[in-house]
Amino acid sequence: MDPARIRNFCIIAHIDHGKSTLADRLLEVTGTIPEREMTAQVLDTMDLEREKGVTIKASAVRMVYQAADGETYELNLIDTPGHVDFSYEVSRALAACEGALLVVDAFQGIEAQTLANLYLALEAGLEIIPVVNKIDLSSARPDEVAMELVDLLGGAPEEMLQVSAKEGINIQAVLEAVVRQVPPPSGRPDRPLRALIFDSHYDPYKGVVAYVRVVDGAVRKGEPLVLMSTGVGTEPIEVGVFTPGMHPTGRLGTGEVGYVATGLKTVQECRVGDTLTDADTPAPEPLPGYRPAKPMVFAGIYPTEAEDYNGLRDALEKLRLNDAALVFEPETSQALQFGFRCGFLGLFHMEIIQERLEREYGLDLIATAPSVAYQIVTTQGETLEVSSPADLPDPATIQEIREPWMQIQIFTPAEYIGPIMELMTRRRAEVGTTEYLDARRVVLHYRMPLAEMIVDLHDRLKSATRGYASLDYTFDGYRPGDLVKLDILVNKEPVDALALIVHRDQAYEKGSALVRKMKEVIPRQMFPVPIQAAIGGRIIARATVKALRKDVLAKCYGGDVTRKRKLLERQKAGKKRMKQFGRVTIPQEAFLAVLRLEGG
Amino acid sequence: MTTAEAAAYVHVPFCRARCAYCDFNTYAGIDHLIPAYGDALRAELRAAPHARARTLYFGGGTPSILPLDLLAELFHVLRLTLHIPSDAEVTLEANPGTVPPAYLRGLRELGVNRLSLGAQSIHEDELRLLGRIHTWAETAEAVEAARAAGFDNLNLDFIYGLPGQTLARWQETLEAALRLGPEHLSLYALTLEEGTPLKSRIARGELRPPDEDLAAEMVELAEEVLADAGYFHYEISNWARLEAQSPKPRAKRWWEPGAWNLKPEAFSEDISPFVCRHNLTYWRNEPYLGFGAGAASWREGRRWTNVRHPADYIARLEAGRSPAEEVEEIPPRLEMGEMMMMGLRLAEGVSDGRFRARFGQGLEEVFGEELARLQDLELLEWDGRAARLTPRGRLLGNQVFRCFLP
Repeated sequence: MDPARIRNFCIIAHIDHGKSTLADRLLEVTGTIPEREMTAQVLDTMDLEREKGVTIKASAVRMVYQAADGETYELNLIDTPGHVDFSYEVSRALAACEGALLVVDAFQGIEAQTLANLYLALEAGLEIIPVVNKIDLSSARPDEVAMELVDLLGGAPEEMLQVSAKEGINIQAVLEAVVRQVPPPSGRPDRPLRALIFDSHYDPYKGVVAYVRVVDGAVRKGEPLVLMSTGVGTEPIEVGVFTPGMHPTGRLGTGEVGYVATGLKTVQECRVGDTLTDADTPAPEPLPGYRPAKPMVFAGIYPTEAEDYNGLRDALEKLRLNDAALVFEPETSQALQFGFRCGFLGLFHMEIIQERLEREYGLDLIATAPSVAYQIVTTQGETLEVSSPADLPDPATIQEIREPWMQIQIFTPAEYIGPIMELMTRRRAEVGTTEYLDARRVVLHYRMPLAEMIVDLHDRLKSATRGYASLDYTFDGYRPGDLVKLDILVNKEPVDALALIVHRDQAYEKGSALVRKMKEVIPRQMFPVPIQAAIGGRIIARATVKALRKDVLAKCYGGDVTRKRKLLERQKAGKKRMKQFGRVTIPQEAFLAVLRLEGG
Repeated sequence: MTTAEAAAYVHVPFCRARCAYCDFNTYAGIDHLIPAYGDALRAELRAAPHARARTLYFGGGTPSILPLDLLAELFHVLRLTLHIPSDAEVTLEANPGTVPPAYLRGLRELGVNRLSLGAQSIHEDELRLLGRIHTWAETAEAVEAARAAGFDNLNLDFIYGLPGQTLARWQETLEAALRLGPEHLSLYALTLEEGTPLKSRIARGELRPPDEDLAAEMVELAEEVLADAGYFHYEISNWARLEAQSPKPRAKRWWEPGAWNLKPEAFSEDISPFVCRHNLTYWRNEPYLGFGAGAASWREGRRWTNVRHPADYIARLEAGRSPAEEVEEIPPRLEMGEMMMMGLRLAEGVSDGRFRARFGQGLEEVFGEELARLQDLELLEWDGRAARLTPRGRLLGNQVFRCFLP
């Protein structure tokens, strides 16, 4: 295809603003998928995504479109992940495009992710086509939202496309705008191959399938390739495009988007952001912007039943085939025995993995409270990375503890500035600038320790603002802090999996809240169970789970032997799913108690 | 063919009104089914397996709702099929609001020799909360009338651990109950059953949930008061008076030294003549046959239960079909567990001799590990002859029973 008639674009939107529905509609209108074969939201392949309403894996579909000018165009729609945990993947998908549809809900208007993605798209030099979606809703205020977009992007109100993806209103106009406004790709066909990998998935027959945008040159089936950052060589088994199923073409030319089935065994060898080039005549320079995925949030994941350990390992390995950002290594906890320390891009990523392990692999898991990776500078001058509070070295050998800080933007109606300020400052946030987008809407900028963010900040923010505020974040850097390890002792024994690293100023408050919460969630046992919070052996808070006084069936006669027996059997099975720590039974909830503290 | 022994139970699923806490198989407002139900019962009894019933128990529901002539017909069939000996224990449960003196005399004439009255409380507000249709005064009158009719073996049921109930009010109930001099007392901790009005009222926040710690104090108080009054605590929720003597001896509590070493092996009947022999059959996991809607039977490794609803039960028998609906085969290992779960409810515990006689293996062989663990936790006592709950284990029985179940 002549690059002049190729358009590569993506759709960026806040969650639930209708990105997937619009994508579906574009596929339908261009005849890429006949209407009768449309399953709602074709691009999202995993059930989980459909349930959570977000896209986890990017995808790329080729559409053939005959425009009003009579020409036939090749439109490549690159879908981007919709959650801030995946912002690096978003940036790579954007780098594969020349234009972006900025979809905004006609009722909700601009939200934090709209902006965050817009900034990324502008940084990537994309042509932005604003689209006001869901104009069919009775609560829609399309003209006001169009004005918000005018304020943000410039242009005239009538240039803001007003559509309803759900009802199929004005979809043609969107396609025409893509053809007219998105620039054609500008690569050099005569140069050695450079293809940007912006996503991948693992296929049991074809190995890792890399989703690529050919920037320069062309890729052909059977010609040896090399991945420029890892140096891994491969001979592609298949080259083709998504329509949206995999459709072999044997070749992808300059400017085109499609896939290369590499035959590689792990996604770790074929990373998002890397450049594919010709093994015989390699390009002198890779494409800019490669950055290996870096996990930010860590948690221990343990099987409730020790015999599921191997099953858990196999499941994690399978998930890792498709997820370069997931890292894990075996971990032993005195309380939870054998499991894995896992690293995730963010809390959302963690939730998804945990859910998939439980749902797709039928595992019963206990997850510890998430932690961040701390840098420990020892008195010897070494720097260690510690992602589990239990691994913190002896305080006497610690010179300094550094923790990751984030830049945070909160997008909110102006009336919630007060409650947000209160919430953020209680969490050690540094207040940055406040930008008014219009009379009612502001963007608040903060810097905040990641550790404060991963404990429920998103939910707290939502409840403080009746759901109106939204949040976006990026990594800022490591900073030293006055941090201490808070031990939790159950029945006088420290439980390693319950330890936390906290700021000294918050230690007392957190310790008290935590022991109170633990008292609620630990079931009464046959003896009183003291629960204590301690810093370096000094007890700072305590509570006692009273002994169970009475637990006996009042009646049991001939008519109900079976029923009563089954009741007892169920109780016994329920108990099995808890962790036995010494003589104390600790339920999963206790390990996540830190996430559920009041106030905070 | 030898005639096996089995306790016999007849279920009467009718009530004037359903109580607020009750989840039994009982119904109010279907009294029109009573005559047909009587016919169905007789049909089921005529087809009953051969057995000798040393105890007979009419439970409910409210058996005292049944007219005397219907009961007379039932007794006729019962005596024909079940070879009920003259010294059999024959119990009938009665609601104190449904037993005029003539009725009680009629029961005696039919051969009922043990009456169980659902007194539940002496306090009118508590009776209302429970949804009972009678007053405490009616209970007292019923006791008097029963004595006059010649009943010398009376049980009274009470419930403790009610929302808002104090220890002092419970003590008043106990003391008033003792003044009536019953031979037997059943004291049940209130259990909130799914789907009962009481449970939903508590779920809605209209009533305070019962306090388990307070309920523990209430049962401890009952043990104290009843031991002093000469009652023997022979099962988790049941007390039987020692043989009438004057002055009354203080009954030994089941864990007190000397309570059990009177003989090498002592059983409940050796200590009090008023223990409920019928219910002992259940707790010892011995055979029983149940008749009527929802009634369960157990014999030779098999437990079966009749259809629950009286209308279905009647329809089955009218059609000449068996009312048995669920049949459960109990493999020996599970039967052993059930024997522990039921038997440990008794002060006498589970006798190694009886266990061995039934299974050919002793307790130590089968449950050695469990017995040791529970002894460490001071929940159970095992002297090589019988396994019994300790006082602590008696309050935490479920923790013990569970260990023996799969």
